[in-house]
Amino acid sequence: MHDAMSCLYCQFPEALVAGLLISAVCALLGVFVILKRAVFIGITLSEVAACGVAASFLLGIPPFAGSLVLVLGAVSLLAVPAENQRIPRDTLMGILFIAATAMTILLVSKSGTGLMEINAVLYGDLILASSRELKILFGILTPALILFVAILRPTLYSFMDREGSKVLGIKTWIWESLYFLMLGVIISAASQIAGALLIFCYLVVCPATALVASKRITIVLLIAPVIAMIATFIGMVVSFRYDLPTNQTICMISCILFALISTTCWIYRKVLPISHNT
Amino acid sequence: MKDPIITCSDLCIAYGRQEVLHGINLEIPRGVFLPFTGPNGSGKTTLLRAILGLVPVRQGKIETPFRQRPAGYVPQHKVIDPLYPVSVLQIVEMGLYRERRWFRPLTPAQKRAAMKALDQLGMEEHSRKNFRELSGGMKQKVLIARALVCQPEVIIMDEPTSELDEQAERDVLNRLQQLNKEHGKTILMVHHDLELAKQFSETVCKVGRGKAEIVKINGGQNHA
Repeated sequence: MHDAMSCLYCQFPEALVAGLLISAVCALLGVFVILKRAVFIGITLSEVAACGVAASFLLGIPPFAGSLVLVLGAVSLLAVPAENQRIPRDTLMGILFIAATAMTILLVSKSGTGLMEINAVLYGDLILASSRELKILFGILTPALILFVAILRPTLYSFMDREGSKVLGIKTWIWESLYFLMLGVIISAASQIAGALLIFCYLVVCPATALVASKRITIVLLIAPVIAMIATFIGMVVSFRYDLPTNQTICMISCILFALISTTCWIYRKVLPISHNT
Repeated sequence: MKDPIITCSDLCIAYGRQEVLHGINLEIPRGVFLPFTGPNGSGKTTLLRAILGLVPVRQGKIETPFRQRPAGYVPQHKVIDPLYPVSVLQIVEMGLYRERRWFRPLTPAQKRAAMKALDQLGMEEHSRKNFRELSGGMKQKVLIARALVCQPEVIIMDEPTSELDEQAERDVLNRLQQLNKEHGKTILMVHHDLELAKQFSETVCKVGRGKAEIVKINGGQNHA
C-alpha cells in the first residue's frame, strides 16, 4: 500500500491535489446544503454542470464556460421565491434534474463520441486531472473558499432563522444568493474533473458524516473537509492499488466512513452511558 | 397617555388581492405590556410582522425606532430547525450581530451580556447545551434571551407561550412582566387567552374584522 501511495504522488500529483481541494471546498459548502434541507439541489446542479460540459464539447468552447452558464441559469431559476408558486421548489429541481440528465446524454450522442465520453462527462475521472485544470481549480476554488469563510456568520444566521435575521438587519437575500452563487461556480469548476456523482458525494456524504460526529457547528465545519480529504486520499490509493475507477472508489470510501463513524457515534452515545451508569 | 413608541397611520395590509387589515390607526405607548388578541386569521401576527418590517404594507405608514435600535423579536421556537448543531449560547450570541457583524469575535463584555440575558430567564446553566436538546419552554426562553441581549426598547413576540404547559406559560409571562415593570421594556405579543392576558396587562390590542384597537381591560379607557 505504501508503494501505491508513493506511485500515486509521483505519477498523478495534479490528481491528488485537485481531489483534495475539490473535496475540502465541496464538503464545507455541503454542510449548509444539508442544514438547508436542500440536498436535491446538490445533485441537480451537478447534473446541470455535466450538461454544460457536454454542450461545451459540442460547441467547442471551454467546459468551465459551458457549465458555468448553465449552472448560474439554474441557480437563478431556483432563486425565484417558491412560497406562492403552485409547485414546490423540489419539484422544479426534479424537472431540472431530469432535463439536464437526458440532455447530457443527447448532447454527447450528437457529438459523435462514444460511451467512454458519456462516462467521462457523467462520472468524471479525477486521476486524469491536468496541471491546466488544476490551475483553473485553484483560481476559482481558493477565492470562493476565502469568501465563504468570511461570510460564514451572516450566511448561517440567514439560513437558520431568516426572519429573526431580517429583524437584526441582516440582508438575508444577499447572503443566500451569494452562497448559492458560490456553490454554482464551485460545482461548475469541479464538474469536468470530479463528475456529478463525486461532487454530490462531497456535498452530502462527507458533511453528513461530520454532522453525525459532532454537535457543534464549528467542529462540523472543520471536520467535514477533513473527512472528505481522508476519503479522497484513501479512495485514490485503493483505486490505484487495485486498478479501480477512482471517483466511484472515493464515493464508496466516503459511504464506508459514514457508516463507520455513525455506528461508532451511536455506540458512544447509546451504549457507553449505560455501561458507565452500571 | 405616554408618548407613543410605535405609530401606525391609515395602515392597510394585504396578501395579493385579499386585504387582511385596513384603516389601522394605532399609537402604542412606550413601556406598555400589550397582548394582541383576536380570533384565528384576524391578522394579529400579520400586524406585528408588519411593525417588524417583515410584511410589506399596501398603504399607510408605520413609525418605529427600529432603525436606530432593532426590536427584540421572539418567533415561535419551531423556526429554528433542530438539524442545526448550535448551542444555547450561540443562539443568544446571534442577537449581538449588529455589534459583531461578519467576523468580529465575541468580546468578554459581550459574552457576559449573553450570559446575563440567559440568567434573567433562569437559563444560564444550560448555556453549553445544544439548542435542539431543550424542551419547548426552554427553547422559548432562549429565544427571549436572544431578544434581550441587544438591549431592545421593544420586544415583539409571536405566540411565545403557545406550546407551553400552564406552569411554563405562567413562568414565561411572569418573567416578561418583570422585564416590563423593572426595565421599562415595551412588550408586544400575540396571545390567544384573553383571561390570562388580563392577569398580566391592563390593556390589550383587539384585532378582528380587519381592524385593530387598543382597549383597557375591565371597562378601562380606550387608548386608540
